[in-house]
Amino acid sequence: MDPILEMNHVSKVYGEGATEVKAVQDVSLALEPGEVVLVMGPSGSGKTTLLSMLGALLRPSQGEIRIDGTDLTRLSESQLPRLRLQNFGFIFQDFNLLSALTALENVMLVAQLAGARNGDARRRAVEILTDFGLQGRLDFLPEKLSGGEKQRVAIARALINEPAVILADEPTANLDSKIGFEIMRLLRQIAKEQRRSVVVVSHDQRIREIADRVLWLEDGGFKTLAATASDPVCGMAIEKDRAAASLTWEGAEYFFCSRGCRAEFEAGLRSAPLPA
Amino acid sequence: MIRLAWRNLTQNPARLLISLGGVSVALVLMLTLDAIFTGMEQRVTAFIDRSGADIFVSQQDVRNMHMASSSLARGQQARVKSVAGVASVTPILYVTNPILAGKDRSLAYIIGVPSDAKAGGPWEIESGREDPGAGGVVLDVGVAAKAGIGLGGEVEILGDTFEVVGLSHGTASMAGSVAFISLDDFADLWQDSDTVSFLLVETAPGEAPEQVAAGIEARVRDVTAMTRQEFARQERKVVRDMSTDILAIMNIVGFLIGLAVMALTVYTGTLSRRAEYGVLKALGARNGKLAATVVWQAVISVSLGFLIALILTSLLTVAAPLASASLRLVIGLPSVAKVVVTSLVIAGVASLLPIWQMARLDPATVFRRR
Repeated sequence: MDPILEMNHVSKVYGEGATEVKAVQDVSLALEPGEVVLVMGPSGSGKTTLLSMLGALLRPSQGEIRIDGTDLTRLSESQLPRLRLQNFGFIFQDFNLLSALTALENVMLVAQLAGARNGDARRRAVEILTDFGLQGRLDFLPEKLSGGEKQRVAIARALINEPAVILADEPTANLDSKIGFEIMRLLRQIAKEQRRSVVVVSHDQRIREIADRVLWLEDGGFKTLAATASDPVCGMAIEKDRAAASLTWEGAEYFFCSRGCRAEFEAGLRSAPLPA
Repeated sequence: MIRLAWRNLTQNPARLLISLGGVSVALVLMLTLDAIFTGMEQRVTAFIDRSGADIFVSQQDVRNMHMASSSLARGQQARVKSVAGVASVTPILYVTNPILAGKDRSLAYIIGVPSDAKAGGPWEIESGREDPGAGGVVLDVGVAAKAGIGLGGEVEILGDTFEVVGLSHGTASMAGSVAFISLDDFADLWQDSDTVSFLLVETAPGEAPEQVAAGIEARVRDVTAMTRQEFARQERKVVRDMSTDILAIMNIVGFLIGLAVMALTVYTGTLSRRAEYGVLKALGARNGKLAATVVWQAVISVSLGFLIALILTSLLTVAAPLASASLRLVIGLPSVAKVVVTSLVIAGVASLLPIWQMARLDPATVFRRR
């Protein structure tokens, strides 16, 4: 399958001489349609720079970024806004909805920026917001919405122009764990059902299992991540080589955070079918 | 983007009120001043407009009354009367001088009119008689009221005492009033019965005043003959020329106040939404779209401010004459057009700095933590 977006040997350097900072160094990445990629890493590792370059908000110092065959780095400044409108959907940690506009108008505006007429923009915005269960909140200002509702409006806004790539910056950071998990499931559902690539930058360990790939960015480059697995009993993400216990059953290997979980799992094997 | 501009404006009512208040006050200043001067121009020519004359004949090259003096030999009256198309000729004497009524002193056009005047007398008498007669004066009703006198009261004109025998309407402006005494009394005070100031000509029915005026200038030496309309136009021009500098200064003051208020509110309004404009830019809005939002905000603000200013000034045109009979405000179309253009210039100039700042806004800031 051809990747939607390719990043080849991309570097970003800020400043020069003694003040030079290499934010991203020789990073390559290919995004498949329908793929959810989680980028993690410590603060200052270059995640924001990487996301900005992926979204055509920042020009790399070296390398190329291709979307649908077009090298973003070769486009003029005046060409980038339209490219962003058509190819990228952005989701932010602080939701970043326009405070003076209603939920519906926030979504409509982005369609109108892309050239949609008022009626068409309204119809599409209502459709998406209704799909997200926000039909009763169309005329609410952001200040009247809950955190989860705001983020769903932001996702609707990101989707209104049917972009190939969704870029999400800490989308669960300002949400409680339940709502955060729901938002991530929604993003995964969008990726799988609509065949869009979703790149999520996050510190939230709980959303690792929703990603198809987890990339660890450190000192401006991707590092190999320890193999992880999810405890089938308590759901905790654990590194395989540090698991407290493991067992193999019908050719599959299971890893546990504790012996208690393994015991519980074994008890379940005796009384019920294994989880799929 | 108009919707966004409108919502941005109305989301913060306090800021909107400050903005509209400041702009409307500045525009009221400009509109009111224009209205005062337009009203004054109209009142200044009230005597000419309502004199009943079709043609004003004056000493050669004298083309108005305000701050001017004209002297014609009495014999010219017969020569003008003999010109074809002239139906009647009324001689008047004229000087600008104060009227003293008790301790009250007011500037007036003193007009000396003959008792059988066909033109040049008071046009709207409230009480008393129209012909001042010997020793009498017809005063403006507002001037008389201000001085606390009525019919039978006494005033001093050119050093002599006159009895108020008539009170007239519409004969006062900020520049002064019009007072009528008899031509003979005026000549006595002047100690000169051989000259008059102007000859007021009525044309015969069917005669064109322009042609008759040209005929007078051709047939009578050393005079200037102008139609009433042209004479009034020249009079207004003199007054306008005298007030142009004041008007210009006050207009600049109004413009600067409006500009300062609008620039400040547009700037702070844009600055407070800097992050939101950054988001829009990141999502794909072009600089032009963002600039349009800022300009629309400014245009909507000044348009609303202009409407408020127009309403306030219209109210002033009603209220001002109640406070002072000599004060008349007239909102003219050229004045409205000028203030509309000024408002749009204010909106445009006030938007420049925010637009420049927005153009420099880095869309990548949306991913930076606040």
